[in-house]
Amino acid sequence: MSGNKPPALALDDRRLLVCLGPGGVGKTTISAALALNAALGGRAVDVMTVDPAPRLLDALGLSAADSSLQPVELGAMGARRGGRLRALKLDPKRVFDRLIERHAPSAAARDAILADRIYGNLSNALAGVADYMAMEQLLEIHQAPGADLIVLDTPPAAAALDFLDAPRRMLELLGSRAVTLLDAAGGAMRGPFSMLDLAARAALGAFDRITGLRLLGDVRNFVRNFSGMYAGFAERAAAAEAILRDPRTLIVIVAAAERERVAQAVEFLAALDAIGLKAGAVAVNRMRPPPPAADAIAGARGIPPALRAKLRANLADFAALQRRERAALDALRAAIPKDLELLFADDLGHEPRSLADLAAIARSLRPA
Amino acid sequence: MAPPRLIFVTGKGGTGKSTVAAALALALSRQRPTTLADLDRRNSAARILGTAASGAIETLALTPRAELEAFIARIVPLRAISRRMLRSRTFGYVTAALPGLEAFLMLERLRLLAGTAARDDRYAVIDAPATGHALELLTVARGIRGLAPGGTLNRLAAAVEDFLADPNRFGAILTVAPGELALRETLAAAAALRDELRVGWIAAALNCVAAPLFSAGEIAALADYPGHARLAATRRRCGRDAAETRRALERAGLRVIELPMIFAAELDRAALETLGRRLAAEWAPQ
Repeated sequence: MSGNKPPALALDDRRLLVCLGPGGVGKTTISAALALNAALGGRAVDVMTVDPAPRLLDALGLSAADSSLQPVELGAMGARRGGRLRALKLDPKRVFDRLIERHAPSAAARDAILADRIYGNLSNALAGVADYMAMEQLLEIHQAPGADLIVLDTPPAAAALDFLDAPRRMLELLGSRAVTLLDAAGGAMRGPFSMLDLAARAALGAFDRITGLRLLGDVRNFVRNFSGMYAGFAERAAAAEAILRDPRTLIVIVAAAERERVAQAVEFLAALDAIGLKAGAVAVNRMRPPPPAADAIAGARGIPPALRAKLRANLADFAALQRRERAALDALRAAIPKDLELLFADDLGHEPRSLADLAAIARSLRPA
Repeated sequence: MAPPRLIFVTGKGGTGKSTVAAALALALSRQRPTTLADLDRRNSAARILGTAASGAIETLALTPRAELEAFIARIVPLRAISRRMLRSRTFGYVTAALPGLEAFLMLERLRLLAGTAARDDRYAVIDAPATGHALELLTVARGIRGLAPGGTLNRLAAAVEDFLADPNRFGAILTVAPGELALRETLAAAAALRDELRVGWIAAALNCVAAPLFSAGEIAALADYPGHARLAATRRRCGRDAAETRRALERAGLRVIELPMIFAAELDRAALETLGRRLAAEWAPQ
């Protein structure tokens, strides 16, 4: 098979492709499709997926229980020389545990943290942690040898910043200054505190007792154990940020031709802009093919009148949907910078269930 | 039967959560004053409702931060001190290390909202986050009980768990679109709601239902008109997927509310009214 290179979205000099977008637009599918296409074109590709559907897992040959990089059998797909694909499914909890194991100053500190109730709560409260761990997983793949292109799917989010901002929020959480303050809250006084600070600390103590959380002591221990790892975490966060800002990184916003999804995609672009990042393209997924011409059946003999009436009704229904999609796309065009690449990918009419389906989606990617 | 005082609308991304929440609020507001509250930080449902909103619908955006501040103000009555405490890094650390706290306070707010609705004879409709985040939110009460074995939070958490299990006060609607992907997520979410949270009132709103319109034979007869044959096949698949999804939901013991595919160039007020009528029919006298 030749001509696997997509007609749009040149990835030749890219090392990382990040797919961002609102939930339910097919980010995972687009990520996997672009990764497969690049692999067929001769690149060594690693793709990280978040929560793929069972059929997509099957198509990629992944098992739901395994979260390590697995080679994808391209077999009869006809990849160019050097082309290969590996895929993994993100497991935030395991990535977090590995991170602790790597950075803990001692075995005792590691065990203390892994057994800590606050750590258990933190690492299971997936909302924020999943974002951060996707970034951490990216670093793991990035630093492992072998791939010359990484494709990153991202957790579904209401806002782009949930993901992009994750390392910074994590650092803030682990900020060394908090350690000092907590020590102060726990008893020993350090540094100057105003009366109001004293009152606030007393209130914090009361909060701890009234709520029944009895957390302050635990939080203090947790922070102490964690503080040995702060430097390691800070270094990882800086590295993740550097990768995102590298000129060889391409950020693609995935959207759908729907009013709300378009509004969200535009918000994502603004959020990127606010932190000095630029999207390279917006890919509108699941574009329906245009409806056929009505006059083809107008005078057709051989079509019974009842069937013809149904065809006409069907045509009118889908034409209305298409007008709705077109209005959403017009809104998208009006809201994005003129020089931003706008791409369409076809709707297969069903969920992708094979590598061939993914390749077909990638091939359908075209300038709008 | 009357609807639960508060209906929590969630579902997989892209299955029409906010549209269903907006339509439901519109329909319920015909019977009683109704609050439409957004938890998605984007006010999607309120925006979809747009000019269709009337005096009988009050829209509300709930944020974790505001709930946390209200809670602190409740237990630390001196404002200068509560403000100082909220600003302190240490407190930021405690709440950050305990992400469940803010989520829990959102839940507590829902419980209060349902209480107010019962007292004033109103309804509340919640445009909740997508299934994954919504389940994290709803399960947080149990986590809080584990973390706080006694005290105020433990007591509140027990009250929240009772609230979720009370079909007069709390109901969950899971929006689902025809197809395997959304179906799988819906069944898993319904099982978690029913078995882990003991939610007493759960329904699936099956969105985008269309009649198949064509038989396989009719499509085969259109070989000379490939464009029309393809579109007819798409229609047939839509209809059959919807029927299949419905059967799977029913097999799992779920109450199913079918919502028609809106074949219109705009999702306007008339469309919301149509969807709203179908939703409200769930509680119409037999």
